[in-house]
Amino acid sequence: MLKLDWGLRALAGAGLLLWGSLAAGGAAAQDAEAVLKARCAECHERLPDGGLNRITNMRKTPEGWHMTIVRMDIMHGVKTSPEEQRALVKFLADRQGLAPEETASYRYILERTPNIVEDIPADGDVGTLCARCHSFARIALQRREANEWLKLAHFHLGQWPTAEYQAMSRDRRWWEIVSTETPKQLGQMFPLKTKAWGDWLKQPKAPLDGTWRVAGHRPGVGSYGGTMVVKKTGQDTYAVSYDLMTADGKPLKGAGESIVYTGYEWRGTAKLGNEEVSEVFAVSKDGKSMRGRWFLDVSEIGGTMTAVRDGSTAVLGMSRPYVKAGETARVTVWGAGLGPSIDLGRGVTAQVVAKGADHVVVDVKAAPDAAPGLRDVTSGQAKGKGIFAVYRSVDTVRVEPAFAIARVGGNGGKTPKIPAQFEAVGYINGPDGKPGTDDDVRIGPMPASWSFDNNGEVAQQMEDAKFAGAMEANGLFMPAGAGPNPQRAYGTNNVGDLLIKAAVKDGGATVEGEGRLIVTVQRWNDPPIR
Amino acid sequence: MKHLKPLNKKAGLVEEAVDGGKLEEVAAMQTIVGCTATLDPGWEVDPFGSVAALCAPMEADLYGCSDPCWWPAQVPDTINTYPDWNANAPSAARDWRVLDAVFPKK
Repeated sequence: MLKLDWGLRALAGAGLLLWGSLAAGGAAAQDAEAVLKARCAECHERLPDGGLNRITNMRKTPEGWHMTIVRMDIMHGVKTSPEEQRALVKFLADRQGLAPEETASYRYILERTPNIVEDIPADGDVGTLCARCHSFARIALQRREANEWLKLAHFHLGQWPTAEYQAMSRDRRWWEIVSTETPKQLGQMFPLKTKAWGDWLKQPKAPLDGTWRVAGHRPGVGSYGGTMVVKKTGQDTYAVSYDLMTADGKPLKGAGESIVYTGYEWRGTAKLGNEEVSEVFAVSKDGKSMRGRWFLDVSEIGGTMTAVRDGSTAVLGMSRPYVKAGETARVTVWGAGLGPSIDLGRGVTAQVVAKGADHVVVDVKAAPDAAPGLRDVTSGQAKGKGIFAVYRSVDTVRVEPAFAIARVGGNGGKTPKIPAQFEAVGYINGPDGKPGTDDDVRIGPMPASWSFDNNGEVAQQMEDAKFAGAMEANGLFMPAGAGPNPQRAYGTNNVGDLLIKAAVKDGGATVEGEGRLIVTVQRWNDPPIR
Repeated sequence: MKHLKPLNKKAGLVEEAVDGGKLEEVAAMQTIVGCTATLDPGWEVDPFGSVAALCAPMEADLYGCSDPCWWPAQVPDTINTYPDWNANAPSAARDWRVLDAVFPKK
């Protein structure tokens, strides 16, 4: 059910826009051109080359164009129906999108992967000037020439006139920099015209219908795998059915639909088990694989997914990616073109218990002297490189993510609680024998006992751990309710600075790891690209 | 402080701090008190990387952020973009349940 509220009535369905169904491609393109002419061209002048001023001067992701159309309504009252918006996004993202190479480093923001710490360029001021409010990915997923980036600077000053007076603006020649150096730098980093985009426009795109073998991992729940059948329903639109299995061997079925933008940007909705999920996948340039993330309404909860076509050969995932030397484990291996057996290297045997088109179930037994480290998993011609670990003891446990954010919510308010999902990941020391160095070997997520505590004196004084929320058995921290809390000092919110602790049992020993969680206040502005 | 005379206790403390050679500390405190004078690090965390120095509670100063478009990427600015965002919630501390995020997913 769409939530209708003040001022947003015109945008009903906007949030679902990218995933909704689309009319047949030809009609949609005609619709989009009609809307561009009737609504957009009223203000955007027609250029000699036939394009519309400003619109024709930039390239964006589907989410980026969606946000532009929504902004045109909010700021300029340009009303468009959900159908018209869908047609416009499709038309613009197909003709003025980003090439696969151009989005590759920034897909986390489209996939809404939580708790990413960005790698922001140290050169120039873009980190400070753009990424102190936005993710850097939001900037990096747009393409404009310097003169068009300059217009974005003007827009910011006009729309948010206090920007210049906010801290970390006043310590520099703010306007001089944002109106000269920054647009120039952005125009060099993210220009409108690139070879990658030119080549991608010319490259034929493979239709995606057919059978795909898939596997993925949902933090806090476990890995899964199976088969996805994709049927074409129109130009770049598909119906999808899922026949999957969870790590504990339970069936997980689902069905949904998708649109593919820009030749590779898969946006789908599906009902998976009893959950409604949104999908953001990228199809590889050769059309042979897909990779991405699906997530629930609260997008912090979700999982990764990798898919390859039936007929190819690959080991995609395992229900459990490790075994301890001297022990046994039942493991499901998912993939495409799997052979009759599973080879895990010297000192490890794998007896086949069951086999299907997309999986092999094996009883794995590791000899007491099996060499610790990562191993390739081979099944017939299919291979998964370094995806299985043998260990003798868990040397360290890392809480992943090491630094996370949760947000208070609910309690009768309109914004939901935003939880944080942690995993306790076992590691063995690498060749240097030292923990916490780059050569440590990742064993994988392990069952753990979870607890949390105040992080530091101030948190202790404020009793953050008492108020900020609760940890569930699977490492999911669920924050407390929103709103002022009269029981706290100053009536403050249920915010907190917490240490998250995981204890993993390894034989008779317990190995502990720590992470940090900031439980903070709501975001009141939460667009698809943050 | 030659030409200024403290009129209350707090101002007296400032003078004492200056006399005690703590001028720099006083100046720094004038610039960053809690969260309202800086975007560094951001809406979510206070200048010390934690949450204790955020406005307590956040609702006490929410409209002090939305009115002059402070943190517009996290808080709807009512100066230009979302003038009616809090029209039905005259008191943030009392009416915060009426407020919604401006780009709902559904």
